[in-house]
Amino acid sequence: MANFQTGRRRFLAGLGAAGTTALLGGCVTSTSSGKSSSKGPVTLQSNLSAPQAKAAMEDLVAAYGKKGSGKAGLNTVAAETFRTQLPTYLTSANPPDVYTWYPGSVANAYAKKNLLLDLDEVWSSSPDLKRYTKALNSLCTASSGKKVFVPNTYYWWGMFYRKSHFAKWGVSEPKSWDDFLDLCDKLKSKGVAPIGLGAGGNTPWVASAWFDYLDIRINGAQYHRELLAGKHRFDDPEVRKVFDRWQEVLPYFDPNGVAIPFQDATTALLNGHTGMMLIGTFFADAAPKSALDDIDFFRFPVIDSKVPLAEEAPVDGYFASVRTGRRDQVFDLLRYLATAEAQEIYIKGSSGTVLPCNPDAKDAGTALVKKGRKHVDAAAEITQFFNRDSSDALQPTADTALTKFLAKPKSIGGILTDWQRDAEKIWNA
Amino acid sequence: MSANSTALRRKRAATAGFHLGAGALAVLWLLPIALVLVTSLRSFDDIAAHGLGSWPQSFTLGNFHQAWVDGGQQRALINSLLVTVPCVLVTLALAAMAAFGLSRYELPFRRSLLLLMLGGNLLPPQILLIPVSKLSELIGVFDTLPALIGVQIGFGVGFYVFVLHGFMRSIPVEIQQAAVVDGAGPWQIFWRIILPLTRPALAALSALSFTWIFNDLLWAITVLRSDTKMPITAALIGLQGQYVSMWNVIAAGSVIAAAPTVAVFLRFQRHFVAGLNLGAVK
Amino acid sequence: MAVLTAPERKSPARLPTSGKRARGPRRTPPLVLAFVLIPLLAEALWVFWPALQGFYLALTRWDGVSAPQFVGLDNFREMAHDDVFRSAAGHTVLWLVVFGGLSALLGLAAALLLQQERRGVGFYRAALFLPVVFSLVATALVWQAIYQPDGVLNQLLESVGLGSLRHAWLADQDTALYAVIVPALWRQIGYVMVLYLAGLKGIDPALYEAAKVDGASAWQRFRHVTLPQLRSVNAVVVSVIIIDSLRSFDVVWSLTRGGPYHSSELLSTYMYSTAFQSLRLGYGSALAVVIFVLAFGVICSYLVRAFREAD
Repeated sequence: MANFQTGRRRFLAGLGAAGTTALLGGCVTSTSSGKSSSKGPVTLQSNLSAPQAKAAMEDLVAAYGKKGSGKAGLNTVAAETFRTQLPTYLTSANPPDVYTWYPGSVANAYAKKNLLLDLDEVWSSSPDLKRYTKALNSLCTASSGKKVFVPNTYYWWGMFYRKSHFAKWGVSEPKSWDDFLDLCDKLKSKGVAPIGLGAGGNTPWVASAWFDYLDIRINGAQYHRELLAGKHRFDDPEVRKVFDRWQEVLPYFDPNGVAIPFQDATTALLNGHTGMMLIGTFFADAAPKSALDDIDFFRFPVIDSKVPLAEEAPVDGYFASVRTGRRDQVFDLLRYLATAEAQEIYIKGSSGTVLPCNPDAKDAGTALVKKGRKHVDAAAEITQFFNRDSSDALQPTADTALTKFLAKPKSIGGILTDWQRDAEKIWNA
Repeated sequence: MSANSTALRRKRAATAGFHLGAGALAVLWLLPIALVLVTSLRSFDDIAAHGLGSWPQSFTLGNFHQAWVDGGQQRALINSLLVTVPCVLVTLALAAMAAFGLSRYELPFRRSLLLLMLGGNLLPPQILLIPVSKLSELIGVFDTLPALIGVQIGFGVGFYVFVLHGFMRSIPVEIQQAAVVDGAGPWQIFWRIILPLTRPALAALSALSFTWIFNDLLWAITVLRSDTKMPITAALIGLQGQYVSMWNVIAAGSVIAAAPTVAVFLRFQRHFVAGLNLGAVK
Repeated sequence: MAVLTAPERKSPARLPTSGKRARGPRRTPPLVLAFVLIPLLAEALWVFWPALQGFYLALTRWDGVSAPQFVGLDNFREMAHDDVFRSAAGHTVLWLVVFGGLSALLGLAAALLLQQERRGVGFYRAALFLPVVFSLVATALVWQAIYQPDGVLNQLLESVGLGSLRHAWLADQDTALYAVIVPALWRQIGYVMVLYLAGLKGIDPALYEAAKVDGASAWQRFRHVTLPQLRSVNAVVVSVIIIDSLRSFDVVWSLTRGGPYHSSELLSTYMYSTAFQSLRLGYGSALAVVIFVLAFGVICSYLVRAFREAD
């Protein structure tokens, strides 16, 4: 039997709930105004969770402690956890002091919300930072004009391939877009899928590299940055040109490209199932050590020589919370992290395919790294990557649009309209 | 006699049939886990060169050591146990108490209360993540293991109350009446009569809740921040890098992480067996 | 929220000397009230209060860091015009029926198969329960390896001559959702089996004996003894399955993230990606409210019917 008396009870409960929610709503969304304590070591929250990178960070922190001017405590969390929790860290009552993250648009987004510590003093007092390139300087400056970031290392993107395989197939690095298409034809005739891609599984973002590169080759880095910031539309004719050009090479893509994550695509590349892959140097971490010497890369072919040469070279580094209670210790730590010695320690401990931001620091010295340095130095403009130039929130819209394009290239019109609509929701949020 | 021997043969055939059927089912079920085991015994270069689905071409036990030491699983396992054991005990105790009260007594609004408690479990936990982390900060227990224990208890108790209520409802009223006539108070009825009769359910729920709390990831990530306090599930995903993950070490870590829950299940499933006789009184 | 208060004291065992009652105690002893209120308070603190805040967030626009903007029912209006929401809702219903239905049926079948104590039955039960125990990371890893274009499943199909059925199971729009149901079932059935096992243990064996004496076949025993006796357990298990189906998130997210392009999107994955990837916490909370209302509605209607029957 209805022992409920649901009607009246629910009404009263509803009223009570409405009143309480209004009160409670304030609690969950408020940014705390507390500061972290001023005692104890500087807390460094790191997302570099791969065992090698983690060990390298531990070496770095130990070296800092040995110097004696201060102590730092390293806290490593899984990369994906760090990404979802970063807003919570920054807004919590007792935030970590220093964080590993990326400069540019993503750091600027937090700086605009007054969550990042002003680092002008570090930049002006550190002899190392004074010698960093102009590009790095502007990358680490927020839109307010203040420095909020200290860079650590950077890596680059390129078309990677296996030297021995190219020799076996009798092909060599292309110099222009037409050369590139010829190369693809030749590889296809040998039964190899010319272009590998690993945009399946949990790594759909790999496809964005193609979008980025075609955009900066056809429309230039300036247009690309503006597009990602919301100043242009995804259904503009310029963006359409990018996809028209992409259709030219689409037949040469590995048909399994969207079904496998990039680690498996690396395996396919090294086994000779695919010819080359547009990927960043981090992919060398997924390669067996015996193959490392055999890896080489070439620049994404130039399409329009009138467009200033741009390359993707994402920078990693550190920023600090504005509500840290250990301001001076944080400054000291960041000054150390910008030195050549610190960056060399990190590079030695990690896989060695990254380049230090400090102009005096030595890199791993391999032929690949030397070529990479020249490759990046030759560029007039540097972009970071889709999610780093826009925001992590915009990346899934690109993933959806690009995987759909790779499967159904004819529906490009509808795909771009949907992409614009999804992106607007993010830009207007 | 021929009748007996036919019956015996039929029984043997039935047993053989059972083992064949159940065995095939078990093997099918265990195949993916076998794949994890095989992966945990391969070297990283082997997987990188040949892919995950290929036949193994290497054998190494080093992954377990790496997961245990480098992956911090030793400390993480201790953290997991420190959280799980108290949680299971307290949650089931509270749930049994509440289910007892709601099912054996004529409390006003008891059905609504039951639905209310269950309702807490109908919420997708993901949406509670940010409010809970802010709440734990407010109380001052953020980044401590007691916070995780508290969250797990609060979030789990509604469900267990509901399940135990279902089991307790089926106990006949006569048993309780007899005890009241004999002069037992509510505590004695609870402790001496109802609780033993719900033992299969409690054993089942202990095994299940141990599994869930031990394997939980979301709440751990939400209320904990230091890597020294993370339980084993979080330590496991910590083995995944920014771009590249060492699948062999992760597989080894998963095997280590699964061991305690398997042990608990094997221990407790005997108690599903220790049936109950509804006809007994005290 | 209104919380009933009661004095917290343990009453000693009292002899009901004054007025023996025919049925159970009409005034509930304070101990019993405490029994109910303490768990309720624990849940209120950690679940109800954050839940109310979550409901409030559904009326705002919030990105997690800046101040929230109150927008009233705008989020829900947007939902009504959102194509992805509609397809996610459809997928969720499909998931509820297929995944929920199969896990109930197969779980019960497994429990019936393995309920009797024989040699080795412990091993079989453990084998079915093992997937429940294994970490999600390893599960996702292995099933991705199975479903890859050159993975175990396709290789198996080729070897038995069914090579034409090869698919990129998780990357193909048409197969992704169904492909994900398999590992989800693989993980769920052991757990449903455990619940049913506990329920089957509660059935008095004397009833089976009586039925056998009356000449009932195995199927008739099942229909007329087992099923009716399982009714209260069934209410629990079916509710559990409904809740789990509507909250299913882990397996789908770790295998496909709701892709390819939303073809395996469930309401729960859509909510997560909106809240934690697109950082639109207001809209994500609104989706969570919808999931909650859906789950509550389904459970309530089922339970009201079940309670009414039992009484």
